[in-house]
Parts: sequence; structure tokens; C-alpha cells
Amino acid sequence: MGKRTDGEPKPPAYMNELAQKLDSSFDVAQVPLVIKGKEAHLFYLKTVVDSDKLQSIIIKPFFELATITHFEAYLNSLPNKTEIPPTEELLIELTRGFLLVAIQNKFIFLELRKVHTDTVQETLMESTIHGPQFAFSEDLSTNLNIIRQNYHGTSLAMNTYQLNDRSNRMVAILYDEASVNKNVLRIIKKKIRALKVPLIQSSGDLGVFLTRRKYTLFPTTILSERPDRIIYNITGGKVIIMVDGSPQSIIAPVTFFDYMVSMEDNYHTYWVSLFGTLLGYFGLFTCLLLPSIYVVVTSYNPEIMRTELALTVTGSRIGVPYTSFIEVLFMLVFMELLTEASIRLPKAVSATATTVGGLILGTAATEAALASNIMIILVAAVAISTFVIPINELSFSLRISRLLLILFTSLFGLNGLIVGFLFLIMLLTNKESFGEPYFKFFHMPKKDEKKVTNE
Amino acid sequence: MKRVKYKKFIFLCIFILILNVLLAGCAFKDIDKRSFVVGIGIDPAENDNGKYKVTLKIALPIGSIKQATGPSYAYLSHESNKISEAIRNMETRSDKVLEFGHTKFIAISKDLVGKEFQGFMDYFIRRGDVQLVTWVAATSPSAEDILKVQPKTEAPSSIALFNTFDGNGTDSPYIITTHLFELRRDYWNNGIEPVLPLITTNEKQTELITNKSLVIKKDENPLQLNTPETLYYNTLVHHAKGYSYKILGEDLELFLNIQKVKVNYKIHVNSSKAPSITFKVKVVGTVLESSKELDTAKLDDYNKIASKDMKKVTEKLLLKVQKENMDPFGFGLRYRATRLNQKNTFSDWEKVYPTIKFDVHFDVDLQSIGAIK
Repeated sequence: MGKRTDGEPKPPAYMNELAQKLDSSFDVAQVPLVIKGKEAHLFYLKTVVDSDKLQSIIIKPFFELATITHFEAYLNSLPNKTEIPPTEELLIELTRGFLLVAIQNKFIFLELRKVHTDTVQETLMESTIHGPQFAFSEDLSTNLNIIRQNYHGTSLAMNTYQLNDRSNRMVAILYDEASVNKNVLRIIKKKIRALKVPLIQSSGDLGVFLTRRKYTLFPTTILSERPDRIIYNITGGKVIIMVDGSPQSIIAPVTFFDYMVSMEDNYHTYWVSLFGTLLGYFGLFTCLLLPSIYVVVTSYNPEIMRTELALTVTGSRIGVPYTSFIEVLFMLVFMELLTEASIRLPKAVSATATTVGGLILGTAATEAALASNIMIILVAAVAISTFVIPINELSFSLRISRLLLILFTSLFGLNGLIVGFLFLIMLLTNKESFGEPYFKFFHMPKKDEKKVTNE
Repeated sequence: MKRVKYKKFIFLCIFILILNVLLAGCAFKDIDKRSFVVGIGIDPAENDNGKYKVTLKIALPIGSIKQATGPSYAYLSHESNKISEAIRNMETRSDKVLEFGHTKFIAISKDLVGKEFQGFMDYFIRRGDVQLVTWVAATSPSAEDILKVQPKTEAPSSIALFNTFDGNGTDSPYIITTHLFELRRDYWNNGIEPVLPLITTNEKQTELITNKSLVIKKDENPLQLNTPETLYYNTLVHHAKGYSYKILGEDLELFLNIQKVKVNYKIHVNSSKAPSITFKVKVVGTVLESSKELDTAKLDDYNKIASKDMKKVTEKLLLKVQKENMDPFGFGLRYRATRLNQKNTFSDWEKVYPTIKFDVHFDVDLQSIGAIK
């Protein structure tokens, strides 16, 4: 802001006060509009306000309308006008892309946001063949728009909150008034208000902060990028939390079995989707148990294999210098490295890197007799089945769980595997997600279930 | 402060877990440090070192199955008074631990079957790692010779002896399979005698021939059933079916392929008539081969011829075992199971059995003469 001379119209004192508070920002704009006795002052941040809109909605009408009263009435009728909040909040709103207009010491507050993240992206994490192909955008209002456009019930409730952290992000809570679990809703609202963390950047870390315990292995919320999954869960009475700037939404509460549902299952005939579900569970058990089973059968109980297989496994282990569990750990660690590498690498390189890395590593390891052929098959099977699990938050947890099982197994054999598996089940049974049991098994329809619990 | 301690504890735990990577449990033994014993043979001792000669057949692992030409085995033998003593001794002669989890075959020399059984069969039952579903067979010549036979058809990492008995390989009605638990159960049970297959070999020792069997009775010499008797025993008791039923008529020879066998028998002891066992056998099959041209219209005649001949062979078999006072069919067991158990139920039966009459009815139902016209 340059020095003003006496001839220029003076901006209202409130605006000067605001300008002082935002002094460190270069993009503060304080624009006077003056023509033939009409006078108005605009106050906004240049970087977040859409200048095209500003030009067409505010500036042009100012010069076209006959009197300042006309202009004021025009502004008051605009759809993006909001009430003026207290100064602290007003400053935050200004950083979001709001515009303060002063006309004859009256203030009007208008939303003129410019958002570059409101393009809807294609599904990346949970892609399906059938069903919607587009996910959410990274802009909250666009995302809320998507939900509304897909779910036209009047009972859909949307509450927005501003986070108390440094980013002051907007968070929206969505639920169906008619079917929502009231207790869960109360807990979630309480937790969001009570959040005391320095910075939240996405749904991922909000989900982590909302869970009660710090050292936890299994997630208690689902992160989903699919609008259809969100709608499906709203209908089921769950609460959805959306964070501005994040394409994923949080679903709460969840049970363990929710992680095993692919939205694809809803779009197929009964037997096809049943087959898909069973494949998913088979993948779950394979990726969790297969490495440990290898340790059991090669080092503790070779009699549970067929004789032919036992001889083949023995043959393939000829010359392998380390014991079975070190072999398993060695190969698993390299597989995890490959997985991590393919996540971190630029998309253009990742496919090549993993294929070449996987192939060369596998072949070379067997040629050098560092690992048996069977081991390579097994690691490949484990890697594939890890990717079969529909929600990959769970597969991340399973990657660690299976190391735990290998530890138990290499110490105590088959008994160790069983005890370790029981330990996991106990861990899951002991968990709860926002007051709801985590390992709840839905073996009867909801109606019957209510009857039983009420008796 | 408390929080810091908690964190330290967690990291200590993780550290210890990582150190554990280098440790393993106590029963831990890698598969390549084990020798898989696939068969045990027991013979009478050749020298005066003990009563038995125990032979172990150990399957050697094959590095690359695609390049292997055939299976390879190692054999260990030792003579001793006790099986366990012999096995202990052989353990000192092997660099790897002897693994009995895959022992699925126990071969016993014909000379030891019956009389000496108690002396060594208990050992296999007691040893937890020898499974009770292990097959037991009698051998002639010695068990060692049979174990050492390597049939030309044996593929790498598949064991011919297993294929013979497990029903996945050959499926002949001449092969009787007796598991260790069956042998022991029938051996001690009143009213039934176990039957063991008798494995022989050709002169060059390149084939395993399993088409005879032995009926075993406590403290007595075993009774050998020849090839057709073994077939009929297997058909009547285990409902074996297949391609090998030869029928001799007056001027006709037929070979039947039997698809279905239904056996029903009843023991009549308390009626006024002389004690008898009525056998009703229904057989469904087709003609595979014949000595002269057949006519579909005469199918009933062939049925009669077949029934008559099968009846004759069956009666002969029944009388043969009855004469030796052996009961591989388990008539005595059926008698005990269907009568009120009293003090002398079984001794009554033992008196009746040597003189009981067999009344055999065969109903052969040939579906076709199998010819193409």
C-alpha cells in the first residue's frame, strides 16, 4: 500500500486495522472504488480471490448501477454473501478467499474463492471395473457438492467445523439424521472439538488423531476416496468426516470386516460377488499366514505336507545357507522394499523398477542359492494377495502382523503360529471403534440383532 | 516422565524382538537337515546279532526334478533284538536326523508275520511320528529286497510303494491295503482276522507284484490266499471293482468288468435248522472279453453262468478259511455285534464256526455284452 494523499477517499478505520494485522502479507489489497459520488472500499487477499469474478460481480455493477443504494441492495442479494464474523474469524475467512466491502461504513462480507484443487480425480486407490470411475477432489465444497448430488435425502446432515490447529482447515461431518448412530456421532463431535494438535493436513492424520490410543496397529477408521462407498456408508448409519484439501474421507465407526468389502461386490451378480469376497478373504489369510506356514512345514512339521512336496521342498532348499525363517524374512524384507519403492518412485519409473527389481532379485537369489524356488513362489503369492485386500490400510497393518506371526512361529512352531493367530484375534476383539465393537461379526439381520440386545 | 519411560520400554521390546531374528525354538530343524524315512523293513536276523534285521528306506531329495532321471534312495540296515535299538544305532550312522513323519510303509518278511508280531508292532504304535495310517505289507522274499526294488515306472520324487497302495496310482482289485491301525485293531479283536497284502518281486527285482495276501491269526502260521482268492476277498469285503473277473462256464470263458458290488449276509444260528450264513451278492458289470461270439438276447444266460461260477469260487474261498479256523470276513465280529453280549457269546461262536454252512447267492447283472455290432 502506497502513501495516500488527501484527495483520495479514506478507507474505513476497520479496514486499516485489518490491514495492520495482515501487514506481513504482500497480497493484501485495499481497493477504493469511486465515481460520481459513489464510493466503496474493497478489502481482500489477491492470491485467494478469483479476480475474474471480482471484476464481473463487484466492480462492473458498481460502475453500472445508478446509485450507491442500488449497489448495496445488489450486493446484499448476492448468493455468496455471509454474515460478518468476529475479527479473529474474519481474518481466517479472508485467507480463505472472502471479500470485505465497505459502503458508507456498512460492511458486506462476500465469498469469492479461487480454488485450483476442485477438479475431480479418477479413482486411484480403490479402482473398480463397474461403478463410478471418479473420486473426490481436494476441495471440501466440491466434495460436499458431490455427496449432495448423489444423495438427495433431506435427512442428510452436514456440519462444518473449523479445526483449532495452525492450518484452520474446514472439516465437515456428514451423516443421515434418520439412521445415524447417535452415540458415535456424539463421540466424534466431542473429539473433533477437543482436538489439540499443532497441524492437521489431511484426512489421514485426522483419522489417526481421532483414535484414542497412540500405539495401535490396526486402523479404526476407513479412508475412502470413492463417493459410492461414502454414500453406501451414510445409508448404513455411519458418520463421514471430510477434511478440506484431502481427497479422502474418513468413515467411522468401522468393523474389521468393513475393510474386506470392495465396492465392486455391489455391482455384480450374487455368485460373482461372493466369489470376489471369498477371494479377498483367501488373500487375507494367505498374506498373513503363508510365510509362517512355510516356516512351520520346513522346520517343525514337515509331515503335514505330501511326501512328494516334502521331497521337492527339501530339494529346492539344497545349498540354502540360512534357516527357513531367515530366508523368509530376507525375501519378505526385499518384497517390502520393492513395494515401498514402487510407492515412492515417480510413476513413470515405478513399473519398470519393480518388474526388473523383482525379476532379477528373484532369479538371482535362487541361482545364488540364497533362497529356494518355493520361497520365491511363496513371496510372490504373498505380495499378490496383499494387494487383493480392498482397503489398503488393512494390508499395511497385515504386513506388520505377519512379521509378528513369523516371530512366534520360528520360536514355537505350529503351536506358536496358532498362539500368534489367537493373539491377533484377541487384539482385534479387544479393540473398539468409537464405542462400537471392532471385531463384530454380522451373523444376523439388524432387526433380529436389535431384538436380541433389547431382551 | 512416565511417558518417556513407556517409550523406552517399547523401544527395548522392539530391540529385543529384532535380536530374536537370530534365534529359533528348540524343536526347530530345517527340512534339509532331515532324512525322510519312507519305508521300514523288518526281517529275521541273518547273523546271530539279534532277532531282527531292520532296514530303512530313505528318500533323497532331488535338486531339480526336471533334470532328474529317477528317484534316489539310501538304505540303512542294522540287526538287533529290538527295533528301537536298531533305529538308535542307525541314527548314529546318518548325518541328518531320521524323520519318520513320512514313513508310510512297513514291510514285514513273511517269516515274521503272525508269530512274532507282538514283539515289534507295539513299537510303531507307540512311536508318535509314525502315523497310524501307515500301510503294512508282508513280503516274500525279504523285506529288505522288496524295499530295494526300484520299478522302472517310478518317477523322481514319487514313491512307487505309496502309489501302489494309496489308490491315487494303480487301482487294481487285487491290491489289498491294510493300515497299521486296522492291523492292530483286527489282530486283537475277537471275531476277525487281519489280512495283509503279500508283495513279491520278479527275478530281476524290477517290479513290485502285489496280488496275493496273508490271513493272520495270533500265534498261528498265516494262511496264504492266492491271486483269485485275494480278488474275491477284496471284492466281498472291500467292494473292490475292476476289469479282472474271469468266469469259466461249461464251454464259455468270460471276462467281466465289474462296476458295482453289493454284499449282504446274515448269520442264522438260533433257528431250528443247522447254523448257516446266507450270502447275497449283487454284481453289476459288463462283459469285456469272451472266448466266443456273444448274443445280447442271451444276456440272462450269461448272467446265470457268471453267477454260478462266482458262487463256486466264493464258496471255495469261504470253506478254505473256515477249514483253517480263520475269519478274515469278520463273521464272528458281526455275530458279537448283533447278539446280546453274554459271558459265552464268543465261545459259542467259536464252537459253531468250524461247522457252519455257507449259503451263497450271486446275482450277476450284466448291462451289456460290450460288443460293437
